[in-house]
Amino acid sequence: MRFTSRPKMNYMPGTASLIEDIDKKHLVLLRDGRTLIGFLRSIDQFANLVLQQTVERIHVGKRYGDIPRGIFIVRGENVVLLGEIDLEKESDTSLQQVCIEDILEEQRLQQQSRQEAEKTKHLALKERGLVMPRSDIMDEYGVQHQY
Amino acid sequence: MFRFQSLDEDCTLEKEEGLVEEEDEIDQFNDDTFGDGAIDDDWQEEHKRLAELEEQKNDGLGGLGLGTLGMGGMGGGNASTVHLPPPASRVPHPSSLPPPHHSLSSIPPPGLEERGGGDLAESLAMLILGVDPAIASVGGPAGPDDRSTGLPPPPSIPQQHHHPSQLPPHHQLTPSGLPPGPPHLSLLSYQQHQHLLRRGAAPMQQMNSHNIWENNLGFGPVSITPGLITQMEDSPLMSIIKEVGLPNRPPPMMSEDGRDLSERAPPPRSSSPVIGSPPVRAVPIGTPPKQPMSHAMNHHHHQQIHHPTAIHVRAPVQHRYPPSFPERISPNTLLNIANSPLCRPPFPAGVGPVLSQIQRAQMLNSQVAGFPRGCQGPPLLPGGGGFRPFFGQPPPHRMGPHPGGPPPPNHNHVPCPIIRHNTTHLHPQHRRMLTQRMQSRGGERGGRVGDWRSRDPYSNLMSQREKEWVAKIQMMQLQSTDPYLDDYYYQNYFEKLEKRQERDRDGVRKEHTTKLITPQVAKLEHTYRPVQFAGSLGKLTVSSVNNPRKMIDTVVTSRTDDEEKREKQVWNKRRQILYTVEKMYSLLLEVQDFEKRFMQTPEEQREALLEQHKTHTLQLYSSLKEKEWDDRVSDEQCLLIMSVRKGKRLISRLIPFLPPLQAATVVMGIARNLPALAKKDKQDQVLCWLVEPIAVVISSLSSASLTDLLQELQGSEGQLSRVLQNKFGVTLLYLILSEGERMQSSNPTCQLMDDNRWTELVFSVTRELLNVPSSSLSPPLFTPPNLLSLFSRYVDRQRLELLQEKLQISALSRCVWGCA
Repeated sequence: MRFTSRPKMNYMPGTASLIEDIDKKHLVLLRDGRTLIGFLRSIDQFANLVLQQTVERIHVGKRYGDIPRGIFIVRGENVVLLGEIDLEKESDTSLQQVCIEDILEEQRLQQQSRQEAEKTKHLALKERGLVMPRSDIMDEYGVQHQY
Repeated sequence: MFRFQSLDEDCTLEKEEGLVEEEDEIDQFNDDTFGDGAIDDDWQEEHKRLAELEEQKNDGLGGLGLGTLGMGGMGGGNASTVHLPPPASRVPHPSSLPPPHHSLSSIPPPGLEERGGGDLAESLAMLILGVDPAIASVGGPAGPDDRSTGLPPPPSIPQQHHHPSQLPPHHQLTPSGLPPGPPHLSLLSYQQHQHLLRRGAAPMQQMNSHNIWENNLGFGPVSITPGLITQMEDSPLMSIIKEVGLPNRPPPMMSEDGRDLSERAPPPRSSSPVIGSPPVRAVPIGTPPKQPMSHAMNHHHHQQIHHPTAIHVRAPVQHRYPPSFPERISPNTLLNIANSPLCRPPFPAGVGPVLSQIQRAQMLNSQVAGFPRGCQGPPLLPGGGGFRPFFGQPPPHRMGPHPGGPPPPNHNHVPCPIIRHNTTHLHPQHRRMLTQRMQSRGGERGGRVGDWRSRDPYSNLMSQREKEWVAKIQMMQLQSTDPYLDDYYYQNYFEKLEKRQERDRDGVRKEHTTKLITPQVAKLEHTYRPVQFAGSLGKLTVSSVNNPRKMIDTVVTSRTDDEEKREKQVWNKRRQILYTVEKMYSLLLEVQDFEKRFMQTPEEQREALLEQHKTHTLQLYSSLKEKEWDDRVSDEQCLLIMSVRKGKRLISRLIPFLPPLQAATVVMGIARNLPALAKKDKQDQVLCWLVEPIAVVISSLSSASLTDLLQELQGSEGQLSRVLQNKFGVTLLYLILSEGERMQSSNPTCQLMDDNRWTELVFSVTRELLNVPSSSLSPPLFTPPNLLSLFSRYVDRQRLELLQEKLQISALSRCVWGCA
């Protein structure tokens, strides 16, 4: 976390705390793979986050699309990482924004191709006698279903 | 213990005069039970007031008591600054007010009395009217051009008044569907919203708290900005309010009770309001603190007043965006505004002056009123990326009348390194480094801070107090009674660093070397001591979250050391014996298998095998021996082995392999200790396994050794009787005797008779046999046939017959050499 420009209200010097990050724009990566961008408004001791004006950003290749979502409350355990967005540098990106429909379509295609690749790989391995657990059809108890 | 010390004074409810002492304790218990986060508002008082209001309302209030509004501190009494549509005739008569379940917007604050109040009253009336979309359409700035959907013409207002029943359908704008009535502001476009807002008819915005019951001025969240109605309509809360209506309250709580209600804060986390019942006050532990302004004022570092024009831009497609709240003004500023203009009794000490919704709304309004509305969006996204500003119009930069707002502290100064008390837990070296770091960086960013912060209408949703609260929790996790145990690497790292620095400095500046002071939290004694009142018997046990009730009395029962030792010894010994037996067995098996192997191995290796065999045998034997004596078989060892069932089996298998002498000694040993063995064998009854091998041994015994054996058997006093009681013993005896007989009969020159021992022994045996009661005489495994002839030698006829009878021996009896 970089030290902000406001007067030093250093709550926990030498520690990592989200307090200094409040009211700043953040990018949050969730465990399910979603990327949220929003203003961090509130936290708690579990690092549950309240994001305001949140936008879910879907990246496909060099393009991305934003879906405005509003207010998010994220349970702390589901956060992989988060980081402050430098507002000045935010626009210096080489990524190209497209509209939501397009990006969703692209995402769908990407998922599809990935799944197919996975399937062929799985099949190839199976032919060789190696059954690898497929993470996508693994449910919460670690049970795999062969469909 | 999870106590926020610094928050304690806030949590402890400062009692106003009139509240009794016990309530203090009760509340303390409440805190104990529910933790510090529990709301300490007195819901009873609250409820009472509500009830009173209810009654008062029903008494019939005339007109609108706008003066009461004024007392709420409407913009510091500058109601004139509120730009309202020209007062439309009047406000509906309270008595004719529809029952509380009518929609919100249709009802002006119930209980408002027409108290006059001149300007203020009028303006407030306008305010309220302005809220009501139906009413507000009356001329004025809220021109019809603002409303695409035709609001009812002015004449409708009186209609409203007389037909309260119309109002509900008119204004019950539940999210479920559009009302038939005109003024559906949700359809207003963005621009219209803006107009509305610009017009300034946005008096009271109160959506901060969601507690529909909470209202210190006697009415619920009543006045709504037209521009905000849309958003609020979307919120479920508003729908609730519309459906439920509001509690009707008489206006001036202040004047009546003389109590300052402003200290009752809406809980920062409001539980969902249960319709029709008092609000749930008990807030679970872990709830952030309420909003005390006094603290926040001191620490708060950015001041802004937020413009309530947060209307999202992406209206068409996703209209579902949540309505923009009237921004939370920083509590400080609100407070400041609230405080100064009002001649209100000061807040009771210790209770954070929390503002209710109305107050906040008023604050907001007052600020908003005077400000120019034309501002551009906050520079949140300079590049404009993909993130459109949520709000179309940012708040103004700075609020003109900002009465008591503390100047933004340290805005452009180099922030002095604030070493807070909470750094004490850090290693001093660490602390030093941090200060240096902070100082170096402090100068860099003086400038940029203020502006974007001030334009963020949603900032400071988390109050200072809440931030501190979270920080406190995080710091509590760092507390440790044993830092070396908890954070070994941290401590070590800084120690090394110090040492390194010392080394580098060559010890020049000795004064800098500080002794390492590891911050330690004293281990608190947290045992619960039950409360005891003086002079009373017994103790109260108040079980709370911090000292839970003892449910189970667990007592550790452990045997005394002695007992344990003894038991252990016994077990150890047994284990040892078993172990020995096992080892011997393995040897024995080798020996037993020898012959087979011998046959199998080729010629050359037979020699080696033979040697091996001898070794094994010797080993076996040696294991029976005592350590000191080479020749004698250790009785003890034998006995030990024999005490175990497996051991007996072992011996029985072992004896054939022993050299004759040693076998004889073994048998001697057995005979000697027969009673003991018999006793131990009671459970197993396997001594008879030994019969056969012993028989073999006996048959190979010399007369002298036979005599010895018999002597051994008779051994000590009373042994014979015990021997006779045991089957094996009897069998053994018989074996011996029969062998003797055989010797005598077969070889007349045997030396058995040479000394009198044999004779005497036999005599004693016979004597014993005759004396022993039949019942105790245990039948042998078998009866050798020549016993009779033996006895006939030594005893007279009479006795012989007796013996015969007793022992059931007959000349013709054929024995069965069975068992062994």
